[in-house]
Amino acid sequence: MSIEIRGLTHIYMPGTPFETRALDDVSLTIRDGDFVGVIGHTGSGKSTLIAHLNALIRPEPGHVFVGGVDVGEKGQSLIEIRREVGLVFQYPEYQLFEETVEKDVGFGPRNLGLDEETVKTRVREALSQVGLGEEILEKSPFELSGGQQQRVAIAGVLAMKPGTLVLDEPAAGLGPAGPEGLLTLIQGIHESGVTVVMVTHSMDDAARFCDRLIVLNHGRVAFDAVPGEVFRHEAELRGMGLDVPECVKLVRALKERGMDLGEGLYRMEDVRAAIEREVGKC
Amino acid sequence: MLKNITIGQYFPGNSFVHRLDPRTKLLLTLGLIVVVFLSQGFLGFAAVFGYVLLAARMSKIHLRFLVRGLKPVAYIVLITFLLNIFFQSEGTPLFSWKFITVTDMGLRRAAFLAVRLVLLITASQLLTLTTSAISLTDGMESLMRPLTRLRFPAHEIAMMMSIALRFIPTLMEEADKIMKAQMARGADFESGNLFRRAKAMVPLLVPLFVSAFRRADELAMAMEARCYHGGEGRTRMRQLKYGKNDGIAGLSLLALVAVIVLFNILGVF
Ligand SMILES: Nc1ncnc2c1ncn2[C@@H]1O[C@H](COP(=O)(O)OP(=O)(O)OP(=O)(O)O)[C@@H](O)[C@H]1O
Ligand SMILES: [Mg+2]
Repeated sequence: MSIEIRGLTHIYMPGTPFETRALDDVSLTIRDGDFVGVIGHTGSGKSTLIAHLNALIRPEPGHVFVGGVDVGEKGQSLIEIRREVGLVFQYPEYQLFEETVEKDVGFGPRNLGLDEETVKTRVREALSQVGLGEEILEKSPFELSGGQQQRVAIAGVLAMKPGTLVLDEPAAGLGPAGPEGLLTLIQGIHESGVTVVMVTHSMDDAARFCDRLIVLNHGRVAFDAVPGEVFRHEAELRGMGLDVPECVKLVRALKERGMDLGEGLYRMEDVRAAIEREVGKC
Repeated sequence: MLKNITIGQYFPGNSFVHRLDPRTKLLLTLGLIVVVFLSQGFLGFAAVFGYVLLAARMSKIHLRFLVRGLKPVAYIVLITFLLNIFFQSEGTPLFSWKFITVTDMGLRRAAFLAVRLVLLITASQLLTLTTSAISLTDGMESLMRPLTRLRFPAHEIAMMMSIALRFIPTLMEEADKIMKAQMARGADFESGNLFRRAKAMVPLLVPLFVSAFRRADELAMAMEARCYHGGEGRTRMRQLKYGKNDGIAGLSLLALVAVIVLFNILGVF
């Protein structure tokens, strides 16, 4: 189901000296099957934006429609929206609380009122989706490694079978080798037909995985376009405290030295192919 | 839902009241509390109220904040008021209904206690609104220092208090985050009977405790890494010093005390 945001503004602690306008008249659409990256400098409103996607924050003023349903409407069943849009927070391992992994991953599905049999199969499916085997089921979530905890926490959301998976900086808090595996895993989930929205600080990850980028700056949408288009505006991005992927810098450096690879290249494979083509010509 | 707690919240500023020495403000607040108990009539309360309002005005704190801070204790005030109305049988009855009789004395006494409570809360609120947690504990430590001769752990208590104060907002933020994460998994904290609600707190409390212990551990380690070894021989970056303003503030309180005592002697209502 697509998600539509219209004229969304959010102000934290209005009327106090701590007042912050975290979102300012944001409108955008997330279509079925998208892999959207949300980028922006720290404090630009990314986390606030995604908390609106499943009605954790009531849109006020503005509207959020999930599959055509206005989530802000009074009396709207929130549990159905939260099932449809699965939200994985930054450091999701901090939400683990049950005695065993099996119970913890089953928390979501059980809240949906599913029967024990279904919960059991869903837990196993979700764990295998994040690359964890059955041997982990009976373990305590607190005895797992950080990376495993994170996967268990993601499984806890996947077990609700969301149509859209929203992740807030999934790669944060992992070691240098950690993100790679996790991101490929998210890519796999996307390929299985789930719409993905991912907040990230890494331009390289954004370039590599996302089909579309939404750039937030001081609570406003600065860009909403395909990565090739967004990365063309290097100067503006720098002005917002953002960067471009390493390979975009490489293309620029080569161009300055006389090797023009053309416009709109931002993925490592494409750049590599272009360089090989160029070198082959000589 | 965790956002409406203003008790203990600092409201930054640079006014006359903000710049007072924290010890002065602590002593003034204590003094105000004594004055509130000293006063025997409403006119005295009016004087105290005027004093507090003036201080709030000078510190540029919006009255809305003081009122908002009263909300959590509004029920206590209300219950005190009602109990005192109903359980006072002396005086001239104003009206009665079945076994309930409201007398003029009862009404007066109830209003007296309610106003006293409100004044006490407002005065102490003004202290925390205009004093940051750090200077507050600095001030307390300094005021308690004479007690160290009696082996009273003044420094340790002040340190514990400042750590606790420092971590209240952090823990609230954390609780808010965990709550949202569990709500995203369909947890429901708001409906059901008391038993169900208590049970629904488990997914919030377990992670909250885990993280509080982790934070405590990290904090202890970080403090030791910076050679913290208790209060002995510790020097401070900000030395507390009384200034002219502190004298003025002290005199103003004395004036208030004089007014109240005068009211009491004259027996004004
Ligand atoms: N619970 C809150 N109460 C008050 N202000 C908040 C709260 N949460 C966020 N803010 C403020 O709103 C603004 C946007 O915050 P948000 O968390 O959405 O940013 P972000 O883009 O996710 O940042 P980061 O990259 O650091 O995670 C910030 O200025 C922040 O200080
Ligand atoms: Mg964030």
